[in-house]
Amino acid sequence: MKALIGLINGMISGATPILLAALGGVFTYYAGVFNIAMEGMMLVGAFFAVLGSYFFGSWLWGVGLAILGSLALALIFILFAVVLKTDEFVTGIALNLFALGITTYLLRQIFKVKGVFSNPGIIPIPVIKIPLLANVPVLGEVISGQNLMVYVAIFITWLSYFLIFRTRFGLRLRAAGYNAARLDSSGVSSARMRVWSLLICGVFCGLAGAFLSLGYVNLFTENMSAGRGWISLAAIILVNGHPLGVALISLLFGFSDGLGLLLQGYQVPAQFTAMVPYLATLIALYFYAVRERKRKQIL
Amino acid sequence: MNRQRLLNGIVGVFIALLIGAIIMVIQGYNPILTYQALFQYSLFGWYPFATTLKNAVPLVLTGLSAAMAFASGVVNLGQPGQLVMGALFATVGGLYLDLPPALMVLVLSVLAMLGGVLWAGVAAMLRRWFEMSEFIVTLMLNMIADFFTMWAITYPFKDATAYSPMTPQINSNGWLPVIGDFNSSIFFMIVAVAVMWFFFNRWKAGYEWRISGQNSLFARLGGCDIQKNFLGVMLLTGALAGLAGGLVVMAGPHRFIKGLGANYAWDGVMIAIVANNGLMATFLYGLFFSAIQTGALGMELITDVPSEIAQVLQAVLVLVIVASREYLNTTLEKAAARRQARMRQT
Repeated sequence: MKALIGLINGMISGATPILLAALGGVFTYYAGVFNIAMEGMMLVGAFFAVLGSYFFGSWLWGVGLAILGSLALALIFILFAVVLKTDEFVTGIALNLFALGITTYLLRQIFKVKGVFSNPGIIPIPVIKIPLLANVPVLGEVISGQNLMVYVAIFITWLSYFLIFRTRFGLRLRAAGYNAARLDSSGVSSARMRVWSLLICGVFCGLAGAFLSLGYVNLFTENMSAGRGWISLAAIILVNGHPLGVALISLLFGFSDGLGLLLQGYQVPAQFTAMVPYLATLIALYFYAVRERKRKQIL
Repeated sequence: MNRQRLLNGIVGVFIALLIGAIIMVIQGYNPILTYQALFQYSLFGWYPFATTLKNAVPLVLTGLSAAMAFASGVVNLGQPGQLVMGALFATVGGLYLDLPPALMVLVLSVLAMLGGVLWAGVAAMLRRWFEMSEFIVTLMLNMIADFFTMWAITYPFKDATAYSPMTPQINSNGWLPVIGDFNSSIFFMIVAVAVMWFFFNRWKAGYEWRISGQNSLFARLGGCDIQKNFLGVMLLTGALAGLAGGLVVMAGPHRFIKGLGANYAWDGVMIAIVANNGLMATFLYGLFFSAIQTGALGMELITDVPSEIAQVLQAVLVLVIVASREYLNTTLEKAAARRQARMRQT
């Protein structure tokens, strides 16, 4: 039972950063932006979260700065891809490398360390205990006592679903991706919808980064996003952008993350257990490809 | 058209260096002294220049790999994984083989390419059999290769006397000879660039690849075997990235050290993007990026500026050069259209 609860909790905390980043990516997916900068936005968010939390002594500042840092990256994306009309793929790749470069540089410049910065002065995002539920034996250990950002992620999943499918904003957002020229001719600027989607993506990726460095662990390491942005992109593609589907897929990846941790207890080398989420992505892509092929045959 | 590209490159580099200077001024450093130190340690003098050339080898080779893939319409982003697999193959070969020097170097190079080909082949087969997009597959394979090589140098091939994960040194017959200040891996790089250029621009297969990249429907209707070409591109670009890894091992530390392929391959992708997938441009930008990286290490010795500024400079370079290219193109097109309109009026 202990192992199972550990696995579930590992799954939840592994899924949260992927879910948050993927939900950001869902908005750009519907707006028709080929956005692959989630990785970089998350990394910058993680760095500024540590920066804010360490210097202002409050996790709230950390989360705030994480959002601002990630938004700054989103603004650069907007400047290049929407305003200057540079290729989105190229902009995304360059931004990811920029994020890696700037965080490594600032880590050295501000904290005077290479590789890792960890310090008891970094205040983590608190864990929330739900008063009555916490005492229920098994359920309480899973539902209560999670990091605040986990509950935020659940709320944001619902919010994304609501915004995209139940509001006028969502309709226009989807129209921008579906047929930009039509939207423009009906008097709504599709470029503006793309800008909005990127800004939202920036905020969510900032939250994902903040969870990574102030919740999942309590430190910053070089390139700590470690491909999670790419996994979240895979998650979006696998379910064609549906927020609830993204949540499900994220949990699946989180499960493989938790499974990796569990396997480490059975003498499997850490390098192999760390591969599990990436292998899971490949397997998921395989099932997606098979389904797509069947669909094509029917048509 | 060529002059326009050259102009764009020079303007882009200039603006990027200017932005870099502004960043330095904000931080309270003297940009002129910094740049002076940077280029003093990378270009002026035989030894710095030779070091720059040697460090350019993995950048140029992975850059070539990315440029040829992108130009052929194949999104092979697997250079980092292919590089470390190539390096691992060459290292393991170097540990257990004992051949005469010249033969040894050739065999290890072939092994390195084989490593890259195998790893790229995994992605190619997944695409061919299951129609899985190579874009995310190669990215995931990068992470897997990273962990796999890490495991290989931590357990089976670990140097028992070392404290951190690394293999023992490879057999000294497999070390690339150093001629004067120049490491002979430079020779491999130049040959690779020349052969690839010839192949890509003068041979039928290269033509088919480029056409497939520009317009795959046209290529198919013209009778190109798209599937076969995709496989060819994947395997060849994999071989290039693998060779880069092998040469790093044979030229430099002569062993596989933790973090060996850390940035080379992603820098290669970046260089290909800056060069707009041109092979000669990839070569030149590869040298330039290497100059910045090499110079940054020396610069750190005599100024207070940390060498990580090189990474920031590179990213700024990419964004500025790419954006200015697109901006310049649209401005020139607009000007040309206006000129035509005026000519028609008169």
